[in-house]
Amino acid sequence: MNSKNMKYLFGPLNKNNPVIVQILGICSALAVTAQLKPAFVMAMSVTVVTAFSNLIMSALRKGIPDRIRIIVQLVVIAALVILVDQVLKAYVYDVSKQLSVYVGLIITNCIIMGRVEAFALGNKPWPSFLDGIGNGLGYGMILIVVAFFRELLGNGTLWGVSVIPASWYIQNGGFYANNGLMLLPPMALILVGLIIWIHRSRNKDLIEK
Amino acid sequence: MESLNIFIKSIFIDNMVFAFFFGMCSYIAVSKSVKTAMGLGVAVTFVMAVTVPLNWLLNEYVLKAGALSWLSESFHDVDLSFLSFIVFIAVIASFVQLVEMVVEKFTPALYNSLGIFLPLIAVNCAIMGGSLFMQEREYANIGQATAFGLGSGLGWWLAIIMMAAIRERLAYSNVPAPLRGPGITFIITGLMGIAFMAFLGIQL
Amino acid sequence: MKKYICTVCGYVHEGDSAPETCPVCKAPASEFRLEAEEKKPLLGGKNSNAYIITYSVVMVVLVAAVLAFAALKLQPIQNANVELETKGAVLASIGQGAGAAEAADKNAYINDEYNKYITDAFLVNEAGERVDGNAFEVLKNIKAEYDKPAAERLLPVFVSNVDGQVRYILPVYGKGLWGPIWGYVALNSDWRTISGVVFDHKGETPGLGAEIAGEKFQSQFEGKSIFSGDELVAIAVLKGAGSSAGNPNAVDAVSGGTITSRGVQQMLLDCLSGYKAYIEQQLAVAADAANPLNAECHE
Repeated sequence: MNSKNMKYLFGPLNKNNPVIVQILGICSALAVTAQLKPAFVMAMSVTVVTAFSNLIMSALRKGIPDRIRIIVQLVVIAALVILVDQVLKAYVYDVSKQLSVYVGLIITNCIIMGRVEAFALGNKPWPSFLDGIGNGLGYGMILIVVAFFRELLGNGTLWGVSVIPASWYIQNGGFYANNGLMLLPPMALILVGLIIWIHRSRNKDLIEK
Repeated sequence: MESLNIFIKSIFIDNMVFAFFFGMCSYIAVSKSVKTAMGLGVAVTFVMAVTVPLNWLLNEYVLKAGALSWLSESFHDVDLSFLSFIVFIAVIASFVQLVEMVVEKFTPALYNSLGIFLPLIAVNCAIMGGSLFMQEREYANIGQATAFGLGSGLGWWLAIIMMAAIRERLAYSNVPAPLRGPGITFIITGLMGIAFMAFLGIQL
Repeated sequence: MKKYICTVCGYVHEGDSAPETCPVCKAPASEFRLEAEEKKPLLGGKNSNAYIITYSVVMVVLVAAVLAFAALKLQPIQNANVELETKGAVLASIGQGAGAAEAADKNAYINDEYNKYITDAFLVNEAGERVDGNAFEVLKNIKAEYDKPAAERLLPVFVSNVDGQVRYILPVYGKGLWGPIWGYVALNSDWRTISGVVFDHKGETPGLGAEIAGEKFQSQFEGKSIFSGDELVAIAVLKGAGSSAGNPNAVDAVSGGTITSRGVQQMLLDCLSGYKAYIEQQLAVAADAANPLNAECHE
């Protein structure tokens, strides 16, 4: 793999992260992050959809009539999302129940439309595919980080397994209590704000004037 | 009565932005000034108030399991619900396109102030989210669906206007450099969300 | 014949190579660019109506075919998942089927357990008469049943027998904060006390309302009574830890999940009231049986 392709694949993990740098795809990013498992499944689903919609749109890019471009994109993306949804319902039913409407919202996830518009329509299929995977993973990374803290601090579990010793809890005579606030929607926003803060203090060139 | 409950609930309690983070992308991008926020807010409210009931009709009479039985009894077992995502998004996208054309033709003044926002709306998660929630919550009639669509749109509008007003003031504040822009916007939205949680106590 | 266009002034030169200088603006040959040869366009070009319509039709057909194929292929697996989950929940209300997670074949395990313990299933109407019908099919679409007027409802009852101990399982369905909630209430053979409950929900707040599906909340119901004297009062869900202590008709609400908890209370009252006529008949029969004088008369 040449250096350019590497850049497509790994750029979105840091300097070009879709969530915290380009501010795309927040909508669904936060709602599924109360626990690690749905966040992980969501990340995987988005990666698959981004990669394949980039691939398909890039392959089709020369033949799409300009006037119906957006509709064609939406149809391709929606079809992919339906496939993902059906597969989830069939093979990981528990998780698909937790994700509920958020699977459908992958369609309107700005990352996917954004990458198709900005990258796939002007590039060959293979780099587009890599770009899709890269951005999907960049998105997933943020999801996992947010979910890690929310589940750990809010529920004392990780991936559904208790990690805080039971004897620490106040009701068992300890000193610790779960912070229920972490599980509520607003904390996800604040966590992302903090992640942006840390990320930008390490990458000074991203700071807004 | 039920419709009124749903209406109030969808503005304050189930606020699209604070409770579900819907439409965050355009919310963050367009909340820099009150004027543009106003334009997008109107557009979102209008599109949502129409597409949610429209999709409710489609869901009730075409997509749901057994929904086609009004055509013929033999369709009793047909379940097209797997197509709902694609149908919803197609309705939203074509409605947005339609509004854009009508507005452009008849009221150019409105088009100039609103037009640039319309294409943004097709991919606004709040609109799609509204239709998906309508489907999941199984509203009983079109009145409830309309109340929900209108209320959610207004809730979103309220949120973006408040945010824009705060951000206009924020421009003069001394925010830590790395937090400027999106960082502080997220944190403020979070704090506003916590404030909005107080509405959970409303008895409806 | 190729066409060369001067990028400075737009002059078009036809020939095999660009002219040395542009006859109009005197720009050198390097300023000329070769215009791509026009291909014979398909259906009159990429933006003609005919092309757009053909394109859309082909795409719609293609997408529809792929989706329909996938939906048909996966439908049986999805249905099996739903059925399995329902059976699992019915079993959980009587404290069985816990080994599903470790079982090699979850599917077979749940089905075996279900067939082993659930001995009978039937429907009852508002008047308390037993009606024959497929209770499990009704259960899978319980919402449709509760959408009907009370007089037309047929509510499922499941009878379980675990090592000789008979219990009755009644499904319940209601509304939480964000969406539907549902569950199963297992009554002891006296039709008064609860032996166990299971609740589930579609989208309650994780960590708060969603805790109604948790062990801590559900285990409180064990041994509580749905009757106060001779009146069916269901179970009240009271706010504040410990507020239900000593009350046989109440449990503690989930902390922070007030509206969901209230939804549970309403759901229990509404749904169990639907079985009222049937339950009272059963109590009367039991009372008859308990009274030896009457029992003799019947013989």
